Amino acid sequence: MSLWHIAWSYLWNRKLTTVMTVLSVALGVALISAVLTLREETQKRFEEEAQAFDLVVGAKGNALQLVLSTVYFLDSPVGNVARADIEKIAKLEDVDAVFPIGMGDTYKGYRIVGTVRELMDFKWGERRPYALAEGRYWEKPFEAVIGAGVAQDTGLKVGSTFTGMHGFVQGGGAEDHAEKPYKVVGVIALSGTPNDRAIFCDIQSVWDVHEHGAENGEPEAHPSDEVTAALVRLATPAQRPVLRKKINSEYNVTAAVPVLEIQKLYDQFLGMAKAVLLAIGYLVVVISSLSILIGLYMAILQRRRDLAIMRALGATRGEIFGAVLIEAFWVTLLGLVAGWALGALTCKLLGLYLATKLGFHIAAVSLSADLITAYSAVLLMGMIAGILPAWQAYRTDIARDLAEP
Amino acid sequence: MVLLENVQRKLGPGVAFACDRFHAPEGARMALWGPSGCGKSTMLNLISGLLRPHAGVIRVDGQEIQKLSESALDAFRGERYGFIFQTFNLLAPFSAMKNVLIGMRFSDVIPEKEWKERAKAMLERVDLGHRLHAKPATLSVGERQRVAIARALVNRPRLIVADEPTGSLDPKTANAVMTLLLELCAEEKVTLLLVTHDRGIADRLPDLFDCSGLVKEGTS
Repeated sequence: MSLWHIAWSYLWNRKLTTVMTVLSVALGVALISAVLTLREETQKRFEEEAQAFDLVVGAKGNALQLVLSTVYFLDSPVGNVARADIEKIAKLEDVDAVFPIGMGDTYKGYRIVGTVRELMDFKWGERRPYALAEGRYWEKPFEAVIGAGVAQDTGLKVGSTFTGMHGFVQGGGAEDHAEKPYKVVGVIALSGTPNDRAIFCDIQSVWDVHEHGAENGEPEAHPSDEVTAALVRLATPAQRPVLRKKINSEYNVTAAVPVLEIQKLYDQFLGMAKAVLLAIGYLVVVISSLSILIGLYMAILQRRRDLAIMRALGATRGEIFGAVLIEAFWVTLLGLVAGWALGALTCKLLGLYLATKLGFHIAAVSLSADLITAYSAVLLMGMIAGILPAWQAYRTDIARDLAEP
Repeated sequence: MVLLENVQRKLGPGVAFACDRFHAPEGARMALWGPSGCGKSTMLNLISGLLRPHAGVIRVDGQEIQKLSESALDAFRGERYGFIFQTFNLLAPFSAMKNVLIGMRFSDVIPEKEWKERAKAMLERVDLGHRLHAKPATLSVGERQRVAIARALVNRPRLIVADEPTGSLDPKTANAVMTLLLELCAEEKVTLLLVTHDRGIADRLPDLFDCSGLVKEGTS
């Protein structure tokens, strides 16, 4: 019969209090687990996507907006750039491939992305982010390949037709290009990337949809002279800063390195949000530690006689101190395990939501260095909370406590 | 076995315990008898090291216990003493078996591999072989005191200190518990010091020490 067993028996003897204390620790741990895991996983996912292309080139303006709109299909495009500039950039030394992007329309909120057929064959390491689940790629304008999320959400399938709405905001007032319907010819396999929620077609389709004659005295528009942006693959990632600087200085465009913009976003905004959420998590754990302290302290007061009996039976002060500290350890450990499970469940549910809404998949809670540090801090706080009650038990006055009725 | 010489202990302003001499030889079965407040429980606490004397010598089994450090006294108590209390003082979360096991947990007298066998044998000896896994709350008061007796003797102590062990029992149960306790102390060849205010109980033991006057008021 070890001290661990004795400590466990006393916790079991007051199940309700123990469960409530464990739950309060678990809530803090769950919050910390979820915040750290979501932060790490989303950053990893964002950065993975950002790594696929070395540069994004678009109209003069905000580099982050350019990256978000072109790589993640999240923000409105900055504007258009001259197609001629993109063609010149494609011929630069160290540029391996350039994929022009044309955007302007959406279908039920999903962006219609005009590009070149070659992008669909793009490979990145072992990954083929545009691999088909069914159907084929487009062979002519107004044939479309849709992301898995689009197919799931809209009910579109191979053979379906749809028409785009002008602009990127859902709702009334938008112009419907009803006269130029698209036909779905393929569905991209679910990849957990932004591609899941995009509709791809030949860039000629986008130009054709927006081809207008002269109106109200305006000069005749030639959309085919412009593209929204271009994704650029270089011979080596080491050339990113050099090419970015060169393109930004020599052309009337903005060139951005996606991974750098995303890291800046995390450092500036999401880093602060993470710090705030983590602070809340630790605050909950501090409050939980206080509840461990109060719970154990009250328990020690109630069982002073038991401690005195153990002392009379030969238990040393150190053993009594240790037994109470072990109780704090058990409570904290159970809180950690329950909190980890609760955090994992939260991440799973959030992951499911994010996968369908944003195309991001969140992995289960894993023991990263940050999480191990956080869990160690929680365990330490739990043990510190146990010291005062343990000290109270250590100071047991055997004769007095045995004499009390 | 137990010797007190010129032992003094202040109990409060103007109140003190004082015992010039007390001797209980090895194997004695002695009642420490006296009215309430006479100092018999204080004497028992001093003998068992639960209270420290302010003066004098307390020798138990050849050891002057007032000289022992706190941890040495804990170890000495665990090895040489068995305690029986008026209110049984069983540990509520544990079964009868585990209460007896705890009696061995805090000393090194019985090898760990023999704990279960020894605890079971002791509980069977006090006729509780059928209640090994019962929690104290489900035992009758007589059964609880028998568990306490088993726990006190399980460690093969040299001295049993019993503080009003029949004080919470009805006369019939008290009689049975006393019979059992005396039998077991004889079997285990252990010295018994039993505090009681009940002369009838005290007279069942071969030796008696009158504690009247051990606590004196008006002392400086």
